[in-house]
Amino acid sequence: MTVLEDYLPIFTGKTLEELHTILARYPNKQAALLPTLWIAQRERGWISDRTMAEVAEVLGVTPAYVKGVVTFYTMYHQHPVGKNFVQVCTTSPCNIRGAEGVVKAFLEQTGAGDAGATSQDGKWTIVEVECLGACGFATPVLVNDDFLENVTPEKVPEIVKKYR
Amino acid sequence: MGFPHKPHPKETVVLSQYFGDADARTYKGWTKRGGYQALAQALKTDPVAVTDIVKESGLRGRGGAGFPTGLKWSFMPKEKKKAHYLCVNADESEPGTFKDREIMRWTPHALLEGTAIAAHAIRAEVVYIYIRGEFTEPWTIMEQALAEANAAGVFGTIKVYLHRGAGAYICGEETALMNSIEGKRGNPRIKPPFPAAAGLFGLPTTINNVETLAAVPHIITRGAAWYKSLCLSNPKSTGTKLFSVCGHVQRPGNYEVTLGFPLKDLIYDMCGGPPAGRTLKACIPGGSSVPILTREETEACLLDYEGVVERGSMLGSGGVIVFDDSADMVYQIMRLAKFYAHESCAQCTQCREGTAWTTKILERILAGQGKPKDLDLLLDLAENMTGKTICVLSDSCAAPVVSGIKKFRGEFEAYLAGKRQVVMV
Amino acid sequence: MPDQLINLTIDGAPVSVPPGTLVIEAAKQAGVLVPHYCYHPGLQVAGVCRMCLVEIEQAPKLQIACATTVTEGMVVKTQGPAAKSARQSVLEFLLINHPLDCPICDQAGECELQDFVFQEGRQGTRYGEYAKRFNPVEDFGPDVLYVPNRCILCTRCVRFMEDVAQEPVLNVSERGDRAFIGIHPEARLDHPWAGNVVDLCPVGSLLSKDFLHKARAWELDKTASICTGCSQGCNISLDTRDEVVVRVRPRPNLDVNRYFICDHGRMHYRWMNRGDRIEAPLIRRDGELQATDWDEAFDRVVGILRGAAEGRKAVALVSPGASSEALAEAKRLLSGFSWTGAFQVVMGEEAPLAGVPNLALRAERAPNATGAESLGYTRDYAAAIAAAKTAAVVLVLDDPDCAVETDGALLYLGTVLGSDAPCRRADVVLPIANVAEEEGTFVNRDGREQRYYQAKPAPGMAQPAAWVLGQLVDAMGLAGATR
Repeated sequence: MTVLEDYLPIFTGKTLEELHTILARYPNKQAALLPTLWIAQRERGWISDRTMAEVAEVLGVTPAYVKGVVTFYTMYHQHPVGKNFVQVCTTSPCNIRGAEGVVKAFLEQTGAGDAGATSQDGKWTIVEVECLGACGFATPVLVNDDFLENVTPEKVPEIVKKYR
Repeated sequence: MGFPHKPHPKETVVLSQYFGDADARTYKGWTKRGGYQALAQALKTDPVAVTDIVKESGLRGRGGAGFPTGLKWSFMPKEKKKAHYLCVNADESEPGTFKDREIMRWTPHALLEGTAIAAHAIRAEVVYIYIRGEFTEPWTIMEQALAEANAAGVFGTIKVYLHRGAGAYICGEETALMNSIEGKRGNPRIKPPFPAAAGLFGLPTTINNVETLAAVPHIITRGAAWYKSLCLSNPKSTGTKLFSVCGHVQRPGNYEVTLGFPLKDLIYDMCGGPPAGRTLKACIPGGSSVPILTREETEACLLDYEGVVERGSMLGSGGVIVFDDSADMVYQIMRLAKFYAHESCAQCTQCREGTAWTTKILERILAGQGKPKDLDLLLDLAENMTGKTICVLSDSCAAPVVSGIKKFRGEFEAYLAGKRQVVMV
Repeated sequence: MPDQLINLTIDGAPVSVPPGTLVIEAAKQAGVLVPHYCYHPGLQVAGVCRMCLVEIEQAPKLQIACATTVTEGMVVKTQGPAAKSARQSVLEFLLINHPLDCPICDQAGECELQDFVFQEGRQGTRYGEYAKRFNPVEDFGPDVLYVPNRCILCTRCVRFMEDVAQEPVLNVSERGDRAFIGIHPEARLDHPWAGNVVDLCPVGSLLSKDFLHKARAWELDKTASICTGCSQGCNISLDTRDEVVVRVRPRPNLDVNRYFICDHGRMHYRWMNRGDRIEAPLIRRDGELQATDWDEAFDRVVGILRGAAEGRKAVALVSPGASSEALAEAKRLLSGFSWTGAFQVVMGEEAPLAGVPNLALRAERAPNATGAESLGYTRDYAAAIAAAKTAAVVLVLDDPDCAVETDGALLYLGTVLGSDAPCRRADVVLPIANVAEEEGTFVNRDGREQRYYQAKPAPGMAQPAAWVLGQLVDAMGLAGATR
């Protein structure tokens, strides 16, 4: 996220090898765009315009094309996010089981303030998302790559403590 | 970790037999439980004959559309001139639905086995399993299972790859999914051409849902006649289906029943009905895209493709969302409309603008600013959003609005009359 | 020719079209324009605006005319209540967030949103919510502005850049009603053919900076012309307002330029409006060039030509931008002489439009080099300049910077005369019209003869070169001479 980091190429060494493995799965380079963006996001924490340009270059497409794709998929971060990126499902089936309370609890416990904003200490970004596909385990919450189920506002302080 | 409830006596456990059994996740565990025998059997059978067995079984797509699976396979070119692809649709994102997730979490090899059989039947050399980006745990499990299966040579020369989505409901639509694999925006394509003629990378492609494929090995080993015999009502709906029940029930989760099973029994007997002291008000039987049923309709509804249509809705993906009398239907319908407005791919005018407009009207009604004409306007917008776009996302947004206003008009009118108001945050 | 045509009925009118024809194109043959936004015959079908919904008998739902191919016996109805109401609803949806800033929009008057709403839109809107607003204007490239609030997301611009220019610098960004046409911050819409996105945009969302707030569409007169920017011969329309060329737009010609022109050609018009024109014939009197009338000027030229002995050398130094008619008359005028004619072509960089075969901004930046060559003019300009030195008569046609030196008589037909131009030494200077001021013919690089028409009057006494030279040919009694 620092300026320096942004100037270092993402696809070198191991990451480049990983890219080549991915490229081998598809008949053309463009098709590797989604997995390549996943790598870029893992390495950088988010996908900046510069990152898009780099991804575009390695895949032989234009940066504008990459940007069109990045902005389509909600899981690619177009801005830096906190160390812990918390996605709380608030679609109808979770809503009736109290998902909005879970969001509120997370916002209060982490000091992130508003949904989508990052807390002052840079540790937390809480977002409301549409259906996470675990409606029977309401409320499902994704903390980074950890999928938590049956989260209630009461359980939030413990979760926050664990990831802090 | 999961929701491994004990099977209810009324369940017909086929797909979900090993849910909760961690050992079944491994290749070794799976073969111990009879896994991959169906594949061995299928590989000895001519692809056309395999397709015929599936056709005969009456298996229909479990992703939502209910299209006969064997028939779909038979659309692939008879004479193979180009490469064939198989796509596995594991982009489960229909609100109310979480069955494919459980299949991948507990029985990944069931999916892989079904996938291998399907690839054999349609003579595909490459398979992409498209897993939605949010499914981190199923992804890890599938990755492991795939590595094991590859090590065991399950797929022979067929290449199988996992492809991770990145947060887009519409990628569950088959042509959008293909675009997404091709590294594009997940925009649904105009049909024709249909995938069997020109699908992924412009080549003949079949796309099947996770649950559909997971059922295939059972059909191969136990026979089409057995599968067909699993039928409680309409002979056009055969086999078992996983129903994901969520919302206001005491025991939400996945339940596997034979098609034709009464929805009432699913909700009351298996899931324990609404929480104590509350009563059932409404139910969406097939994922958020289908019309809402009233209590009466719900209690009379049989869970098969025809039975749900008879009650004015659709079986869809089998995501049963239950609302009790505490639910504010206006608010819930707004949440659903908001979901579709969020997920619209932006291609078709009616969908892009209509889903957002519908949401704004509903939000305004909730805020106590509704006007008497709003309900007619909503219905007219819904009419204009139905049957006119490339895919059915727009129709899906309209369905709960239309059925909601028709069936719960009183709740809307209470808002319009200023008797209720929600402070929107 | 396809051996069999498909017969169908559109709004009751029978039409027969080749197999594979789209309903929307077949309808045009029946005289029916199905309203549409995303469809454009020069682009790949997208089928996204959903405006061209029509009823097709036996189809369960309305179909989009732009993505449905004709079948034998098909019965299409564009005016049924279902189709009309569907299209009306699309228009309503398109307008809910539209700023309706037509009074300050360049597209007003030639806007397809205005046109179709006028034709079949609702009386008023039912939209009572807050409108969606983006930042008002984005700078896309050297000549293109994007006004997202007016955008209807038909994606014509995106598809043009992707499939035709094959340089995808535009995208659809975001999704749902948050979507807009995007460009990567490091990218510019500066492809040599990028300006076409402005023409393709059916609304006032993509604007030409060059044309920005310059004129209202209804004030423009449009004249069919041929682009003089290179030897491709793109068909264009010269748009004039108050006798000033204010805009160049492509005119469809499937064999030459399809629906497109390059930016070089698009911007190649300002010189047509030059104010420093020669407005009267000039003859040398007492060592000075002095204005006169046509009769005296013609007499002077005839005198010069008659005075020069028959059979001696004459040289014509011509512009490859002169009409074939003028070039022919010039040759005829000098037919009594031992004649040399030559032209020189300014060269530039070739810029092809990747998605269209045989379409490029050609390196040869002249419209009629092929026409000149076919009349016997050569490209050996240097030799002609050398020959001019000793020629009895030198005729310079519309080549103001011609570095001519001669011991003989010098005749100059031109539009402008710089203060230190060699042609200042001419014995006679005759004012001629430029391409916008006359009718004529160019022959493009593929040998296609194409006519252009007069878009505005010539200044002062200036006349088309073909007319001037024709008058001289008549006066010399050479009308029967072969070209």
